[in-house]
Amino acid sequence: MASPFPKSSSAPGEGRIVAKLAPDGNSGLETVSYQYPLKLISPSRPSETKSVLVFLLSYGGGLVGGDNVDLSVEVKESAKLSIVTQGHTKIFKSATPDIVTRQTLRVRVAAGAALCLLPDPVQPFEGSVYEQTQVFRLETDASLCLLDWVTQGRTARGEDWSFVRWAGRNEVWTTTDTAAAGGDRLLVRDAVILDGAQTNPQLKTLRESMHTMGVMGTLLLRGPLMKSLGQFFLAEFTALPRLGARDFRNDDAKRTADERLLEPLEKWRLTRLQMEKEGKILWSAANVRGCVVVKFGAPAVEAGRLWICSMLAHEGSISRDFGDHALMCVR
Amino acid sequence: MTPLSTAAVIDEAIPPADAEAIEQEIAELERRLAKAKAKRRPAGAYLNSSHDADAYTSKQTIGPNEVPATTTHFLLLLSDSALPLGSFAFSSGLESYLSHCKLAPLTNPNPNPPSLSAFLPLSLSSYAATTLPFTLSAHRDPSRLASLDDALDATMICTVGRRASVAQGRALLSIWERSFSASLPAEAEETLRPFLSLLRQPSPAGSLPGVSAHLAPLFGALARLAGLSLEQTAYVFLLGHVKALVSAAVRAGMFGPYQAQKTLAGPAVQELIAAMVAREWDTPVERAGQSVPVMDLWVGRHELLYSRIFNS
Repeated sequence: MASPFPKSSSAPGEGRIVAKLAPDGNSGLETVSYQYPLKLISPSRPSETKSVLVFLLSYGGGLVGGDNVDLSVEVKESAKLSIVTQGHTKIFKSATPDIVTRQTLRVRVAAGAALCLLPDPVQPFEGSVYEQTQVFRLETDASLCLLDWVTQGRTARGEDWSFVRWAGRNEVWTTTDTAAAGGDRLLVRDAVILDGAQTNPQLKTLRESMHTMGVMGTLLLRGPLMKSLGQFFLAEFTALPRLGARDFRNDDAKRTADERLLEPLEKWRLTRLQMEKEGKILWSAANVRGCVVVKFGAPAVEAGRLWICSMLAHEGSISRDFGDHALMCVR
Repeated sequence: MTPLSTAAVIDEAIPPADAEAIEQEIAELERRLAKAKAKRRPAGAYLNSSHDADAYTSKQTIGPNEVPATTTHFLLLLSDSALPLGSFAFSSGLESYLSHCKLAPLTNPNPNPPSLSAFLPLSLSSYAATTLPFTLSAHRDPSRLASLDDALDATMICTVGRRASVAQGRALLSIWERSFSASLPAEAEETLRPFLSLLRQPSPAGSLPGVSAHLAPLFGALARLAGLSLEQTAYVFLLGHVKALVSAAVRAGMFGPYQAQKTLAGPAVQELIAAMVAREWDTPVERAGQSVPVMDLWVGRHELLYSRIFNS
């Protein structure tokens, strides 16, 4: 007899999400299955229907040394899926450096479908060893918004990039169902390897080499639904004030110019620039092989969160296309 | 010292009959040495990995009618600052780092003011972590050049860094085609042909180019075809980066030319390059990645500098 309950996965930490377009035109879930320590929850009565929401959780709010999470996600044609977390993903200490805590995410987004993955940052504790691999295969006109960020650890306990090792790799591939089209092609591979054990005494400690940054992040955008957001980041980067430029206008001239700023975008930009200056936020944006890659860093995690939220909220296409719930981790 | 003069010295101490025997023994040993040396380097085998030892031998025995091994010759050419790669137009983030430190000091007063001695190890570690595996792989198998170039293109997520890498890669390719290839065996050209035809092929509108000609994999492949060993190639590749940084520091006014040579000659740079080569020796290209994330921000934000003297 067929079980009425979701089929359970075989190995610990394994999970699977399949999102599809329901007959009513909203996105729904075809499959959600998971095994300890992974936990997936989808609100049964969602407040929004622009995309289907899944919480990516773990028992105890983190991964203990040696945990392996292996999640595969499929977003079927024209469906929209948002994945969020509930609080920082804590990575606990490994007993020895050869015990690696792993998270692997394998995603396939079908033609015209979209995935928005805006989680909380990963927070690796002192003594943790962590490897994260996220591979996205996108069919024609599939869209992806991916935020991947990592913090210095528990600042209240004096942790400051005190882990043993943190390695993260994000790959975006284009893929087709037909083998004739030449198969899969790698568009972007964004890899960061932070090693607490330096091989040479001349190399600074990891903490020093982070140059007072407390959070480092990458935002990856690709596909038709991310086009306007990508353009927005590139335009704002180009519009940043030149470093080392001087303002030779006198106070009167500045005041007149400020009063003339009636454009809401320019007003917002001035406020944001002030926030970037006070929060010592450094960021850059580049168009790499059809993807927009934004890199940012800030001394305080909260400043980084406010900045990314301000950018995503002001541009507005994420809440328009995926609903406000997609943004809950950056708010 | 010739065998004759050796005999003359010995003559004084030992009887003539023994001297003759020794003379014969020396002649025999020398003949065997020459034979052994000839065996070591078969003619035409330009992809010989044992030329390190050859280079030293030829240096010791060089005479008016002898020339150093071809590999030594190309080693010197590829490590020469006069090689027109245009590397000295790029500061690899040094100029941007100086501006960022000056405009927003970490603390006031800053206990660690910006310096090349602080920047160089960060920059070399980052450069080795992101590009050296591609140089090593291309040297190990030059026929993979096109796929390595495409993979490196996907990992360079910063406009300024991509521009610098492609500009130098294309310059190196031009030197190879216009200047070096005529002096090297035809096999070298054969190996590069598929890559060159991909590079010249116009890619259909809207699609990615097949290859971009980034510096790291090209340097590995061309150094191999010129006969450099894997160790030499990795060392020269990283030394080139250090030389460009030091040169940029001189022109940015951080220190003078004597301090620059002192930095280059110092044991610190030698040890660091060796350590970086050892660290990346077995790193597969799929595992290459940024080891100093803030470097991406400095290099990426070079475009925002109000005044700049370098292209990166």
